[in-house]
Amino acid sequence: MKRIQKIMTTVATACLMVGNVLAQEPINGLTIIENVYNRAQPQDQQGVLTMSLINSRNEERVREIRQFIKDDQTVEKKIMFFLSPADVRNTSFMNWSYSEDGREDDQWIYLPALKRTKRISSEGKSDYFMGSDFTYDDLGDRRPAEDVHKLVREESINGIACYVVESTPRDDEYMYSKTITWIDKEKWIGVKKEFYDEDGNHLKTLTVTESKKIGNYWMITHSEMHNLQKSHRTRMLLKDITVDQGISDSQFSERMMMRGL
Amino acid sequence: MISDKGFAKIRVILPLVLVLSILSIQLVKKNSRMETDLDKYMPQNHPAFQFSDSAEARFNIRDGVLLAIESDSSIYSTATIQKIKDLSKRLAQMDEIDPSGISSLADADNIVGSDGSLDVKPFFRRVPTSQEEIAALREAVRSNDMVAGRLVSEDETTALIVAEIDDDLFSQEFYQELLALANEFSGPEKIHVAGRPIVEGSMAYLAPKDMKKMVPIVILVIVLVLWFFLRSIRATVATMLVVLVSTVWTFGLMAIVGIPIYAVSTMIPVMLIAIGVADGIHIFHHLKQVQKSNPKTEKTSVIRTTIKDMWRPVVVTSVTTAVGFISLVTSEVYPIKYFGIFTAFGVMVAMTLSLLLIPAFSMVFGISPIRQKKSGRNQPAMSWLVSFSEGANRRPVLSLGLTTVFILFSLWGISKVWINSSFLDNFEKSSAIVQTDSFVNSKFGGTSTINVILDAKSPDTFKKPEVLTLMSELQNTTVSQSPWVGNSFSLADYIRRMNRVMHSDSAKYDIIPNDQNLIAQYLLLYEMSGDPENLWKVVDGSFSTANVTLQLKSDNSKASNEALAIIEEYRTKFNEYDINLAYAGSGYKALIFTELILEGQIKSLLLSFIIVALLLGVMFKNVKAGLIGTIPIVFTAIVSFGLMGWFNIALSTTTALISSIAMGIGVDYAVHFLERYRSEIREGRSPEKAGILTIQHSGKAIFDNALVVILGFLVLLFSVFPPNRTLGILVSLNMFLSFLGTVSVMYLLIRKTKLFTSKGGRL
Repeated sequence: MKRIQKIMTTVATACLMVGNVLAQEPINGLTIIENVYNRAQPQDQQGVLTMSLINSRNEERVREIRQFIKDDQTVEKKIMFFLSPADVRNTSFMNWSYSEDGREDDQWIYLPALKRTKRISSEGKSDYFMGSDFTYDDLGDRRPAEDVHKLVREESINGIACYVVESTPRDDEYMYSKTITWIDKEKWIGVKKEFYDEDGNHLKTLTVTESKKIGNYWMITHSEMHNLQKSHRTRMLLKDITVDQGISDSQFSERMMMRGL
Repeated sequence: MISDKGFAKIRVILPLVLVLSILSIQLVKKNSRMETDLDKYMPQNHPAFQFSDSAEARFNIRDGVLLAIESDSSIYSTATIQKIKDLSKRLAQMDEIDPSGISSLADADNIVGSDGSLDVKPFFRRVPTSQEEIAALREAVRSNDMVAGRLVSEDETTALIVAEIDDDLFSQEFYQELLALANEFSGPEKIHVAGRPIVEGSMAYLAPKDMKKMVPIVILVIVLVLWFFLRSIRATVATMLVVLVSTVWTFGLMAIVGIPIYAVSTMIPVMLIAIGVADGIHIFHHLKQVQKSNPKTEKTSVIRTTIKDMWRPVVVTSVTTAVGFISLVTSEVYPIKYFGIFTAFGVMVAMTLSLLLIPAFSMVFGISPIRQKKSGRNQPAMSWLVSFSEGANRRPVLSLGLTTVFILFSLWGISKVWINSSFLDNFEKSSAIVQTDSFVNSKFGGTSTINVILDAKSPDTFKKPEVLTLMSELQNTTVSQSPWVGNSFSLADYIRRMNRVMHSDSAKYDIIPNDQNLIAQYLLLYEMSGDPENLWKVVDGSFSTANVTLQLKSDNSKASNEALAIIEEYRTKFNEYDINLAYAGSGYKALIFTELILEGQIKSLLLSFIIVALLLGVMFKNVKAGLIGTIPIVFTAIVSFGLMGWFNIALSTTTALISSIAMGIGVDYAVHFLERYRSEIREGRSPEKAGILTIQHSGKAIFDNALVVILGFLVLLFSVFPPNRTLGILVSLNMFLSFLGTVSVMYLLIRKTKLFTSKGGRL
C-alpha cells in the first residue's frame, strides 16, 4: 500500500515539478511538504539517542538510549534499549508503526527486573513519547495529504533560506489546530516548527540546531522541543549514527528485547 | 495660665476638625481597599511559610473546590455519570479553573493490568449505557484504591469532583457561579459545593460585611446609653463626635499610607467607639461636679476648670490604652500589627479631640444646666457600690480568699484553653458551608489537607523500597490511628498499584516491591503510558523530594496537631535515611498562623503589662501605685482566659486580640480611681473618707463607662458571624471584670498598703 502510494505521490510530485519549471509557477505549500516527506531516507539506521527532559525549574533528567530503526515501507520497526540511568538499563521498548490506514502502532516493553515483555495497548498509550514533549506523531512522518498546506512566506533563519508553510489538519479532532514549519530550501529538511493547540494558542516550538549528512542522507541530529504552556523542554541528541547496515528483521523481536545489549 | 477669653479661642477647633474629617472621608472613599486574600494575612517571610510556599509551587499543591454529587441510591446510573462528566467539563471552562487541576471519575487515570500489560486509561470515554458497561465501571472503581473512597464514596451514593484553583482567584462572583452551576445540575441528585477556598473566601467576605451591619447598631446603642448616663443631648453629641471623628481619621490615615483594610481592621470602629466614649464620660461627669460645686460660675470657666482637672487622667488613660494596642506591633502577623498601630492612633486622636473638641463644642453650643433632683438620685445609686467596696475592705481575708480561689479556678481553666486555627469553626453550625463540609467529610477522606514534604539529600532516594515502605507505613499509621485523617496519597500508592496490576491484579502484590530497579522500571513504564504530570505532584524529577498528602476531616488545630504528633514519630526513622521531614499546605499554614498570633499575643501582653506598670509608677511617682494599678488588668486577664478554658472558647485570631483590648481599656479604671483617691488624700481626707468619695465619683464614672462598653459590645451578640458574637461576650466580660477588680481587690490593696498615706514606695 505504502509503496504504491509513495510511487504515486512521487510521480505526482515529479509532474508538478516539471509543470512548475515549465510554467515558471511559484512552488506551493503541498509540494514543499511532499519534498520533505519524500526526502531520501535510509533503509535502516542505528545510533545513540540522548534525551534530556528539562522542567520549568531547569531540573534536567537525562536518558541514554541505543536505537535501531528499519523501514520497509509497509512498517517502520524501532527498538530502543536504555543505557542509562542505571536503574532502567536494558529496559527495552519496541514500536511497529504501520503505513496502512487506521492501523494502530504495536508496542512492547521489556522490564528486566520483571524479566517479562509486556504489550502496551494502544488505548493506554500516552500521546507523548516517554514523558517528553514530543508526541509519537511529532516523531513520525505525517502524511502530507492529512493537512492542507499553504506557503505563507519565505525567510531566512540563521542564514538558512527557508520556506514557511502553514499546515492545517483536515481532521478537526487532531491535537493541533495548525503547525507552521520552516523548511530549508536546499536540503528539504525542517529547521523550525511551531505547534498550535486546539484553541489556536501557541503550544510548542521545535528548533533544529544541527542537521548532518550521514551517508547520502540529511538527518536531524540535534533538536529541542519547547512546550511554552508547561515551560518544559526536551532535547534530543543523536550520535554514532550508522545507516544502511542491513539490520535483519530478527533484530526486532521480543527475544531481542529480552536479550538486551 | 490662659485667661477665659484666650480659652474661648478653642472654638476654631470645630471648623478645623470638620475640614480634616471631610478630607479623610474623601481619602477613604478614593484609596481604601479591602484585603480578602488570606495569604496576604500571613507573614510571607516566615521560614515555615516560605518553605510551604516553595513546596506548594514544586508539587503544584493547591486547594480544591469540591462538588459532591449525591444520588438517592447509587451514582452508577447513566444519568448520574453523564452529570459527573458534564459538570467536570463545565468546571474546566470556568476562567478560575485550570482544566488540568480537575479530578473526577470522568477524567481520572485508571491504572489497570490487562493481558499482563499495563494500561493507564480513563474509566470511560463514552458514558456507559448498558447494565453490563455500568457494572464493569463499578467494578473498575471498586478495585482501584486510588479512586474508590476518593472520587466515589465507599457507599457509592456520592461522587466527588475536585477543581483546584489558585489562592488568589476565589471571589464571591466565582462562588455564586459555582452555586448556580450546582443548582442547574441538581435533581434528582443533590449537588453540594464545599472546600477550603470557599470557607476562606466566605470568611474574608462575611466578617467585614457583618461588621458593617453591626457598627450603626453599636452607635445607636451607645448613643442611647450615653444619653441615659449624661442626661444631656449636647454632651452625648459631643462625645459621639469625638469617637466618630477619630474613627474617620484613623481610616483616613490608613488610606494615606496605603495599608489595606484587613478583616481584623473592621473591628477598629467598634473599638474606638467603645473606648473613646470613656474620656467623654469622665469629662462630662467632672464638668457636672464643677457645675454643682460652683453653681454661679460662667460656662467658659466651668469648662476650663474641668479640662484643667481632667487632662491628666485623660492623657494617662489614653496613653495606657494606646500602649495596650501598640504592643501588638510585636506580632509577626501584619493585620494584627496594623490593627494595633491604627487603633492606638485612633485612641490618641480620641484623646486629643476629647480635650479640644469637647470644650470647643461646649463653648459653641453651651452646656446643659444641672437638674438638682437628678444629682440627688445619683448619690444613693452609688451606695451599693460603696458598701460593696467597703465590705471588701472590711473583710480582707474573705475578699482575698475569694479572689485567690477565683484566680486558682481560672488558672485551672487556662490549662484547658486551646488554640483553634479552624476557619470553618467561624461559621454557624447550621450554615450551608458547615453542613456541606461535614457531608463531604462523612463520605470522603476529608476536606482539609496537610502535606508532608520529605526531603532527601541524594537523588533516587524515593525509588528505594525501604523508603517507600516507610512512607506507606506512615500513611497507614496516620489513617488508622487518627480518627481525623480519612485518607492519604503518595508515590507509594502509585508503586503499590502498579506492582499489583503487573501481577495480574493480585492483592498479594499490593505492596512495595523489594527491588529498586523494578520500581524505577515501573516509573518509566508509567511515564510512557500515562500522564507523567500526575507523578510530579507526589515526587520531583530527581526522586529526592516527595509529597505525602493527608486528608483531614476537620480543619481545627486539635485534629491537625493529633495527626502531626503521629507523623512526628516517623521523623527519626526518616532521618536514618538522611531524609528531612517538613510540612506544607494551607491547613498547616493556618496552624502556624494561629500559633504565631498566640505567641505575639503573649509577647505583647507581657510588654504592655510592663509598660503600663512603669507608666503608672511614673504618673503617681510611686512604685506601689504602679503595681497596684495593674492588679485589675492582671485579674481580668487571668479570669478571662480561665473562663475561656471553662467555657471551651478557643483562642483564635479574633479572641486572642481581646486580652490587648481588655488590658488597654481596663487599666483606665485603675488610673481614674487612683487619681481621684490621691487627690482626695491630698486634700487632707482620711483614707476612709477619701475612699468613699472616690467610689462615689470615680466609681460612678467607671461603672457608667463599663456599662456603656458592655452594652455597646453586647450588640455584637446579634451578629450572624459567630466570632463577632464571641468578641462581644468576651469584651463585655472583661470590662465587667476590670470594673470588679478595681472596686474590690484594688481598693482593698490601696487601703491595706496605705497607698499615698505612708511614706514608703515614693519615687
